[in-house]
Amino acid sequence: MTFIFDENLPFEKRCEAVLGHQLENHSLYRTFANTFGIRAEEISGYSPDDIPLLPIRAFKQAALYAASGSPEIVFRSSGTGDMERSRHLVADPSLYRLAIDKGFFRHFSFDQYTVFCYTPGYADNPESSLIWMLQHLVDSDPSGLSRFLTLGKKMTQNTFSTTVRQDKKVLLFGAAFGLLDLIEMDSEPLPEGSAIIETGGMKTHRREMTKTELRRILTEGFGISGGQLHSEYGMCELLSQCYALGGEWFEAPHWMRVTIRSADDPMRVCQPGEEGKIGIIDLANLWSCPFILTEDRGVMDERGRFRVLGRWNPDDMRGCNFLIEDEL
Amino acid sequence: MTLHHHTASVCAAVESWLQPDNDQLREAIRKTVDGGYFSEADIRHQIRHLKHSVTPKNIGIWAEKSGLKPGSLAGKRVLCLHAGNLPLVGFQDVLAVALTGAAYSGKISRKDPWLLPSLIHALQEKGLFDESHYALTPEDLPAKPADAVLFSGAEESVEIIRKKLKEHRLAGIQTPFLRRTAGFSIAWINDNSRDTMESLTEAVFRYGGNGCRSVAVVVAPFRFTDHICGFTDYVESFWLANPQHQKPPPSLFHRYAYNRAMGISQSWLHDFLIEDTMQLPDHKFVLHWVEGGEKELRQLIEQSGPRLQSVYGTAHAGDTITGRTIEPLSSAQAPPVWWKPDGTDPVRWLLEQLS
Repeated sequence: MTFIFDENLPFEKRCEAVLGHQLENHSLYRTFANTFGIRAEEISGYSPDDIPLLPIRAFKQAALYAASGSPEIVFRSSGTGDMERSRHLVADPSLYRLAIDKGFFRHFSFDQYTVFCYTPGYADNPESSLIWMLQHLVDSDPSGLSRFLTLGKKMTQNTFSTTVRQDKKVLLFGAAFGLLDLIEMDSEPLPEGSAIIETGGMKTHRREMTKTELRRILTEGFGISGGQLHSEYGMCELLSQCYALGGEWFEAPHWMRVTIRSADDPMRVCQPGEEGKIGIIDLANLWSCPFILTEDRGVMDERGRFRVLGRWNPDDMRGCNFLIEDEL
Repeated sequence: MTLHHHTASVCAAVESWLQPDNDQLREAIRKTVDGGYFSEADIRHQIRHLKHSVTPKNIGIWAEKSGLKPGSLAGKRVLCLHAGNLPLVGFQDVLAVALTGAAYSGKISRKDPWLLPSLIHALQEKGLFDESHYALTPEDLPAKPADAVLFSGAEESVEIIRKKLKEHRLAGIQTPFLRRTAGFSIAWINDNSRDTMESLTEAVFRYGGNGCRSVAVVVAPFRFTDHICGFTDYVESFWLANPQHQKPPPSLFHRYAYNRAMGISQSWLHDFLIEDTMQLPDHKFVLHWVEGGEKELRQLIEQSGPRLQSVYGTAHAGDTITGRTIEPLSSAQAPPVWWKPDGTDPVRWLLEQLS
């Protein structure tokens, strides 16, 4: 199944093969697609944009699985108490490793960087796809310097002294709220040339803030430039990640297609600048479900990059709503 | 002027406005229908209901319930930001301001641009507002800061709206601001008798399911699939007399396809979807049918929080459950004139804020 990552094949061809696999092997997705009139025997030349995207809540409500045999890993989204949590059944972890490597090493290399993760370790959170990814990156560093940092402990120059001595740069991974905690603990600025990858995750933080405000606080707090503050867009339901380098605009790797879909008509792809729900085709999700309509609000630019604007809020759809955009 | 005299004058003005020979109202209805804003059936329903509910007796009851005094808010100014999702949805707020004797400023919805202005005009003609202005855009309202604002809409839009009002010098950031954010109601039925099912049909499908008084969740002792044929008969009869004006977006079909894939029991009515799911509404044109009783109802009320407007019932009307008094199902689309959007009587609120 490594054809998924074969850039010599047009995305449309790879997508068609994955769609065919889903229609043949995934009864839940087949029923969904059949309702739109899509049949396995009629998909030749089908445009990826015309493939129906399954609402992401399906990962909470069903076992999405298009493989034979038992899954090797089950990832679960974060959540507390009675919250419904997504489950991602992973049949083949090697696909996840490939997606991580091909996405990450396109932008960063262990010749230059050492990865520090300010997140719980794998032992504390083995069901998290993010922690699994970070553990994989730590394990992949031939220098052995990459590691998880101790939570609740501020960073000092000592934290990175070995890395600096070996002429390597620090690449700090962390959820937004964790990085803010580090600043509040009076952590020292990062060594020169360092970069940060924030992985989202503001929803559990004490207060809401805009992305711009977050970026300001992080760059000032860690003493890095805006160009060195990157973001990663990933989730339990996806085996691939998108990166936004030095800003808020994400780019998808060549085996993913991200579109913005009209909330009123998810089969319609929005024009650049028009807000909608983020729709994702992630071919690495071959064995679960690669065609996903998220509940994230997003917008695309003319270059095909996208920004994440928050969650799509379904509240007040029926009420006596005074719509600002319509009325003021 | 005594309170009785004032309320009687307001009531008389409304009654006169509702008369079938009122050319201004007739013209407003015609323009509304021709403009495609609402269906004639829905407008007629609203007008018929107002004729029944706006009576001297009912206005007197409202005045008494709210503690209204003569000329209570003379010299004060109230700004109403009217929604436009139902015909005349702003009626109660206009009436509330008229009863308090405050000056009225109204931002009329672009989605209901004719009906409410015809009422305001009728009240103006009778001299029932000390001063009044209305407009479709905030720029066209006189820049006179209001003493209080009545608003219905999403919680997250409140701060943006407050800033806009400040920009237009229509209200300060600290001006008392009544926010109504409820979005749906729940019905608890105990049988599938003709009366119950007709009331339920009206409560769900009137105005295409729009409005916070419309029922989006039903709790019943039976699954809808057990009685689907009977229920759809009532729905079809209702739609014959009241064709649904607003058609659902294609996302409703997307939801249908999703339910089908997930094995969720549902009934596709083309303009509406009934589904066997115990969840809070997140899509227009969807009725959630929950097989259950008081336990499930309590759970739904607790989960709903401020999004829930009313709980209606048949056998249990008048009882209180989880702090909610159950209203008669038949009153869902025909509320008393003193009904409380989001549990707040607008007259009482204005008096408390401004007296």
